[in-house]
Amino acid sequence: MIGCYDFCGHYEWTFGWFERVGGHTLVRAYWDEAINQDSQTHARDLIKAEGIPGMLKYWGHTLTEESPELGFTISHQKDVFRIDFHDCPSRGFLLRNELKNYRDYCDHCMGWTGPMLKDCGFQIDHEHNHCGQCWWEIRPTGTPGGHSPVGSVAGDKDSRLLPNWLPPGARLDRYTKANDPDQKTL
Amino acid sequence: MATPTSGSLPYTDTKPVGSADFYFAINSTFRFILGRFGRDGWIRYLTDLGTGYYAPVNTQWKQGGLPAVAAYWRAFFAAEPGAVVEVVEHPDRVELSVRECPLIKHLRAHGREPVREFCQHCYHLGSARAGAAGLTMRLSGGDGACVHTYARSATNLPAQDLNQIKENRP
Repeated sequence: MIGCYDFCGHYEWTFGWFERVGGHTLVRAYWDEAINQDSQTHARDLIKAEGIPGMLKYWGHTLTEESPELGFTISHQKDVFRIDFHDCPSRGFLLRNELKNYRDYCDHCMGWTGPMLKDCGFQIDHEHNHCGQCWWEIRPTGTPGGHSPVGSVAGDKDSRLLPNWLPPGARLDRYTKANDPDQKTL
Repeated sequence: MATPTSGSLPYTDTKPVGSADFYFAINSTFRFILGRFGRDGWIRYLTDLGTGYYAPVNTQWKQGGLPAVAAYWRAFFAAEPGAVVEVVEHPDRVELSVRECPLIKHLRAHGREPVREFCQHCYHLGSARAGAAGLTMRLSGGDGACVHTYARSATNLPAQDLNQIKENRP
């Protein structure tokens, strides 16, 4: 049986299998069709119906289940929903267990949430450092702003204030008003 | 290293049990592969997963024999939310009596339809893993309750009849 306890391990392994079998196009299709349009329909339904309050319900529940030690912070203001990950439970699992079968695991988040949020009328500003720290700002499509000044939305919980935000050798991926996993600048 | 819940699990997390909503993604992954590559492609995926991702488990089983198989499955099901499983070690085999499959239970409780072939994944995956460890695996039942048998290859088990594994119907 395939279990949920080590889900992030075989999920990441599966990305690598898809890339070997069908290239990058197949990996993107998997994130969108299997995860966004099938597995996570409950997220789409909630956010489409309720907007930012729906995001609070969805991520509040799912992240508490995945990260009972609360390696994340959720904050929100009018027209912006923000998550700061100080210790991503998913990326952290892979790093602690030294698992790597796919070139950039972190892309999967934008891979399914990007198309899902686009369909719900939202765009994403986001940065991740590949070491388990990242931040997300989600705004209605067309709303001004993005990449808010450090601390202005999440206060002292802003991931960019962490001493390990940019450790030596870390590579930062940056998204601006994006909905596509390949729409990043390095 | 992660905080281990048991030395029998090769990959460990800081939390004692997994998040059951990930079962949705496992079912959706199967549906995606079956839709793109058909049944043979899905079996190839499970075989590759069994010999690739699970290679450290297979090595444990090869080195530790049936006691290692039993210890692994006890630790495995202890970390799966909602599992009701009895693991019994016999001299020539280990039997897992799955009384409540956590995957099927969670999918059904949330109105998610398992793919028809869902329960066969345990055979194709388990068989690949057992083969890599010099063991034989058989499965009967399904759709929420089943019996897995891991035996020494020398044990004279009848060939697997896939008709003995229930399909998942709405």
